[in-house]
Amino acid sequence: MTPLLEARQLVKSLGGRRVVDGVDVQCHRGEILGLLGPNGAGKTTTLRMLYGFLRPDGGTIRFDGVDAGAELAHAKRHLGVCTQDDTFDGDFTVRDNLRIAARYFRPAVSALAARVDELLDRFGLRPYAAMRPDALSGGFKRRLMIARALVHRPRLLFLDEPTTGLDPQARMAVWDLVDGLRAEGLAIVLTTHYMDEAERLSDALTVLAQGRVVAHGTPKSVLGDALGEHVVIVPAAAAEAAGVAPWLAARGLDAPVGVLGDWHLPLRADTLADFARAFPGLRYEVRAPTLDDLFLKLAVA
Amino acid sequence: MIPLLTAAFAWQSRAVVERHLRVHLRNWHTAFLPPALEPVTNLLAFGLGLGGYVGVLAWRGRDVPYLSYIAPGMLAYTTFMTAMFQSLYAAFIRMHYQKTWEGQLTTQIELRHVVWGEVLWAALMTTMYAAVVGVVLAIFRLFGLLDVALGWLPALLPVVFVAACAFSALGLLFTALIPTIDHMNLPVFLLVIPLALVSGTYFPLEHPVARALNAANPLHHLAEGFRGVLVGGGAAAHLLAVAALSALMLAVLVPLDLRLLRRRVLGE
Repeated sequence: MTPLLEARQLVKSLGGRRVVDGVDVQCHRGEILGLLGPNGAGKTTTLRMLYGFLRPDGGTIRFDGVDAGAELAHAKRHLGVCTQDDTFDGDFTVRDNLRIAARYFRPAVSALAARVDELLDRFGLRPYAAMRPDALSGGFKRRLMIARALVHRPRLLFLDEPTTGLDPQARMAVWDLVDGLRAEGLAIVLTTHYMDEAERLSDALTVLAQGRVVAHGTPKSVLGDALGEHVVIVPAAAAEAAGVAPWLAARGLDAPVGVLGDWHLPLRADTLADFARAFPGLRYEVRAPTLDDLFLKLAVA
Repeated sequence: MIPLLTAAFAWQSRAVVERHLRVHLRNWHTAFLPPALEPVTNLLAFGLGLGGYVGVLAWRGRDVPYLSYIAPGMLAYTTFMTAMFQSLYAAFIRMHYQKTWEGQLTTQIELRHVVWGEVLWAALMTTMYAAVVGVVLAIFRLFGLLDVALGWLPALLPVVFVAACAFSALGLLFTALIPTIDHMNLPVFLLVIPLALVSGTYFPLEHPVARALNAANPLHHLAEGFRGVLVGGGAAAHLLAVAALSALMLAVLVPLDLRLLRRRVLGE
């Protein structure tokens, strides 16, 4: 199946520094692609190129098989963007924000009044329709941002850290909305710092570090490929712990990551068996890896 | 270059103008008070107050009442100041604080449309303000306080629009360059206000150096052209100079604005 969005070998330099260096991205209809990486990995720059805010220095972006660079205005008609910062129009009410945003697209949005009402209801914004956005809580501001990104019925939605700064209840409300949009067949590209968010929502993950793709696939396969099947947590102060780092180094494995007095060791199943034999007296905990572990590994790297 | 200049006529640029117009019309009662009150204040202070001492001025070899002299100058002054302030402060606020531009740029609007939208909106607003000033002048004339021919005034509004486009393109240049809104004082006090006063708006400058400099000053030609139409005398050469200088400014400044704003807004 042809991906709705396909970017190949994207390159972008900003301020004399190569921020994105040969990134490939694919997103299909009805799929959420999580774009992950530590700060400075190039997520937002990649996203900004994908939705036409920045021009790539190199590489191609195809939307529904068509070169988006050559047909930018056409492609942008089908893209919805929810930026990391609130960029709604503070001079207008919530309802008028949706109306005004729709006027930035051609062909014009059909049955606009009905579409605005539909979005106000769906995003729980109806009681605030006549208010200025500044009066809304953080959660409802994000809802307005997403609703505004959808007013022209796009086929592909970009969400740049959509739940940053929200309380858990508001985050989960946004997750429900995003999940519902996927179920309707919308393709969604999502960047986030929250690993639980990426794991719960994403069908596929592309992990960036220093402007390059370091892993891609389903959340489970990305973790398996990058980390292994297990994470061993060893108290750093334990008597036998001193031998752990040399043991890892002797096998060409990464040095352990220190977290609050513990060492976190991502290990494959066969290596875990060797570890158990090498340190019989050591007390440790074994758990499944999470994206937090992947982030820690990337950040240390 | 050509796509950039033709972007002025694109629907996206009109959508940006329409957005600004909607905001403005929401606040019409406060938005139209300053352009109505400023000329009244200036006509009373400079025209009747200072004019009482000055009496008449020698302009192009004839005596002209001071009030009649400054009325066209005020029209030119309004054109310059409104366009400059709109593209300096209002555009900076939209770009930096309100993030209006960033929101627009996530749609089918591109930066060239944002730039043209700002230029055209500043020009449209300036034209509306100039029309308000014209109404004030008409009221003064009705009460016999002003002796100018206002019949051609509506025909001057397109000239106001074109000149305001050029002035706002100049204003956007500073908007693209200054780091914070506090730095806006530099262009305002070092360029805008001095230029507004030494361009033959409120008093003539006869020094040869000033005359030579003013030959390339579109505001001077605007004031003299308006004066020629309203007070009587040759206006065509000055109005042609306004058109030529405005076209030159737009051809140079809009691409430069876009280049600088691309770096500022997009980081490119």
